[in-house]
Amino acid sequence: MGRIGFSVLIVAAGFLYLPLVVLAMFSFNDSALMAFPLSGFTLDWYRELAQSDNFLSGFVTSFLIAQPVGILAMLFGLMASLALTAPGFRWRGLFAVLLLTPFLVPKSVLSIAQAMIMSRIGFERGATALILAQSLVALPFATALISAVMVRFDRRLIEAARDLGASPWQAFLRVLLPQIRPALSGAYSVGVILSLADLTIAMFLAGRTQPLSLMVASEFRRELRPDLNAMQVVVLVVTALLVGLSEVYRRRRLRRLAAAA
Amino acid sequence: MTFRQRHLALPVAAAIIAGCIAPLAVLVAFSFYEVEDFDLVPAFSFRAWGELATSTTDWFLIGKAVLSGVATTLFTALLGYPVALALTRLAASAKGIAIIVLLTPLYTGEIVRIYAWRIVLGGEGLINTVLLGLGLIDEPLKFLLFSPFTIGLVLTYNNLPFMVLAIWVSAEMVDRRLIEAARDLGARPVDAFFRVIFPLTTPGLAAGSLTVFALSAGEMLTPNLLGGTSGATAMALIDNLFGTAFDWPLASALALALLATLFLVASAMAGLLLRLKGARAMIGRT
Repeated sequence: MGRIGFSVLIVAAGFLYLPLVVLAMFSFNDSALMAFPLSGFTLDWYRELAQSDNFLSGFVTSFLIAQPVGILAMLFGLMASLALTAPGFRWRGLFAVLLLTPFLVPKSVLSIAQAMIMSRIGFERGATALILAQSLVALPFATALISAVMVRFDRRLIEAARDLGASPWQAFLRVLLPQIRPALSGAYSVGVILSLADLTIAMFLAGRTQPLSLMVASEFRRELRPDLNAMQVVVLVVTALLVGLSEVYRRRRLRRLAAAA
Repeated sequence: MTFRQRHLALPVAAAIIAGCIAPLAVLVAFSFYEVEDFDLVPAFSFRAWGELATSTTDWFLIGKAVLSGVATTLFTALLGYPVALALTRLAASAKGIAIIVLLTPLYTGEIVRIYAWRIVLGGEGLINTVLLGLGLIDEPLKFLLFSPFTIGLVLTYNNLPFMVLAIWVSAEMVDRRLIEAARDLGARPVDAFFRVIFPLTTPGLAAGSLTVFALSAGEMLTPNLLGGTSGATAMALIDNLFGTAFDWPLASALALALLATLFLVASAMAGLLLRLKGARAMIGRT
């Protein structure tokens, strides 16, 4: 590849990572002011963070909300993908458009409309509402991930299993599932990641529940504080670990599948 | 009726209809309701729609949403093309890493990115310190933070990976021999781009544009937290009408008008991009 192409990629990566690097730098900076030049290295902000009950409870709340979102996105994404790739499904086009609507309608409009309907029918806003709304927004992404793998799946393998006496359920478990397991774990992580990253939906539907993003947003309006930097870095590292682990898992599965074939 | 695989669509469709279609339908109903003594009363009133039709602020804000969506789409497309084309030249092993590098910033929370940019662009932030240190400016640049520039920059930042990904996928499918053939036949690199690569990647450009437009036009957090006095958005106004002002009919009407406008612009954009492809392909053939 040429020198120009290489420089383009370096500049692009620099642009994408510049804010995150600066954030990390100030979380280790020995000064309460977020200004250059840097004053020295410290771990104080992280120590302060570890002692903050607020942060810990916000973190636990966010984590507990993200798990069901990942699972729901995966399950509904799997059902949607199975339907999309089913033979003789007459409403496929309409169903695909329906699946795209949570993605096409801006999150803020959708959340406000959901908040209105909930308060009319007396469904209390809170963790449950948040989980359901976030799963809905994650669904198009999860479905895209799973069906991308499923369209490449050779249906004759299922038919062969059925001919050899497997029940539809057995054929699904023993033939299809091993093939799509990496995509399922991808769909789960997308749900978890979108949930951890979300602030817009939480603003309208969290009720009295306080996930981390909402806590940071209310602090952020008042002032910039270095321990918030440290908090952001911790969230970033946890998310990166999650992504890394699911990627390692995905590659191991792929290698095992390749070895088995 | 025996169970078939396609019947799995039913629970999914039910969930989307309950969680997405029903709330939007309720917006339509609410836009005709009336508010009496802080209570929403079913009625068939055109009060909200009339107020919306005559309000210049509301239409200005809707126009602003469209503008910010179109501008973000344009910026990400201009920046995304060189990056996507450079990515196609990478070795296969490097591409796996490139995907992770490209997608990781997306995994960071909305609030993290906004927060980080505030530190980069502030009066004593990275950019101003470096420029001052180099002696290129005498006092901190004020327009970097809390201005339309900030909104444009951060919206572009937030959406660039989606555009790059979409163009990259379709650029990967362009047969390299076509480009070599064009070059052998005497086309300059610029001609090869506009006559071969660009027409063949318009599907990716269209997919990326619609994604970026959908994600950026309705965005309210970035303008709200980083736009300063220029940060007013239709969404923030809807939020205000919904919460503080308790004017749900007007909030609903405004939300629907915003949705309809965004939908129309997105359709026009899709139509334009598809025609572009046809036109370019014709030029390429002659």
